[in-house]
Amino acid sequence: MKTGRLFRIAIIALGMALATTMATAQAINSGAQTIALNATLAESLTLSLSSNAVNFTLAAGSAANAGSTNITATTAWVLKPGRTAVGVYAYFANAASALTDGAGNNIPSSAFFIADNAGASTALTNTVAFGGANGGLQLANVAITGANKNSSRTDVMAFNINLTGGTLPQLPAATYTGTLNIQAQATP
Amino acid sequence: MTWQGKLGRIAVFALLMAGLAATSHAQVRNSGASTITLQAVLTDSISISLSSSAVNFNLAQGSASNPGSTGVTATTTWLLKPSVGSLSLYAYFSSSTAALTDGAGNNIPSADFQISDNAGPLTALTNTVPFGGANAGLQVSNVKILGNNRSGSRTDQMNFNINLSTLPNLPAGTYTGTLTIQAQAI
Repeated sequence: MKTGRLFRIAIIALGMALATTMATAQAINSGAQTIALNATLAESLTLSLSSNAVNFTLAAGSAANAGSTNITATTAWVLKPGRTAVGVYAYFANAASALTDGAGNNIPSSAFFIADNAGASTALTNTVAFGGANGGLQLANVAITGANKNSSRTDVMAFNINLTGGTLPQLPAATYTGTLNIQAQATP
Repeated sequence: MTWQGKLGRIAVFALLMAGLAATSHAQVRNSGASTITLQAVLTDSISISLSSSAVNFNLAQGSASNPGSTGVTATTTWLLKPSVGSLSLYAYFSSSTAALTDGAGNNIPSADFQISDNAGPLTALTNTVPFGGANAGLQVSNVKILGNNRSGSRTDQMNFNINLSTLPNLPAGTYTGTLTIQAQAI
């Protein structure tokens, strides 16, 4: 009987100790304070060239007048969702006078050829997003998916002037200068 | 003894009796004692105030370093019961996978959001803390509560960074989110 009473007392004491511990462990929380976060990743599309000048030593009436150097265009982009394509274009401001001697003698864009990444050499005869009518060429078109919204590509361009067409075999000796533009566009 | 002498003694005796009676009337009389129970409650409390409630980030694609436009100081003030052992300050998001989002399914997870507390190292919010989503929190600081700081305060100067080195394909956009700061004493 005495042992049983002692046991009951011990149980009660343990219960009291547990209740005290639970009361101690109860957490007190502050109110929640919030910080509004706003992070902007700006859209960008850049194009850089390995060089900005190409020379040609022309041979009268020749189809093959290669440029002195190839140029690599590196296009890099960070795009918003919704963009579906990146195009890289080469163009002249005027199709009739891509290069000129300044004295009325011109080399048209149709005689100026670019081979992109060792592909076929193609004349600049299309109307593209930039430049004069029939004075351009789309070098590349990249479909944009979820996997390449941030990416880049390189286009190695090899140049040639073909002097066999139309009156070009009669092109007078002179120095012909012109400006070829390379530009990229993300759409839509 | 003459009758005048007897009368004099009687008068003196009467005067003494009258004096005793007057003394008996001046004795204090006390009521029983009534008690008033007093109870004064000093409620425990924890409060946080922030020096600013908005931070902007100009992100650079793939960059590990995209610091926030401003640091935020959290001032925690407390008044605690003797049974409290420590007080912690937490920062957390409600979701670890979408701490910030552009609303079009592109997210910056809490693992790429970092806080430096009081010029300490930048640490990502990858822990499960008492508040917020799983793996979306960080214990910013912890204070042991002793006899001499049951009432106290502390400041935590938080600087923020978004690490995009693990998110090189994050598309351009505006990403928004809510970081919550909260304290707990236990």
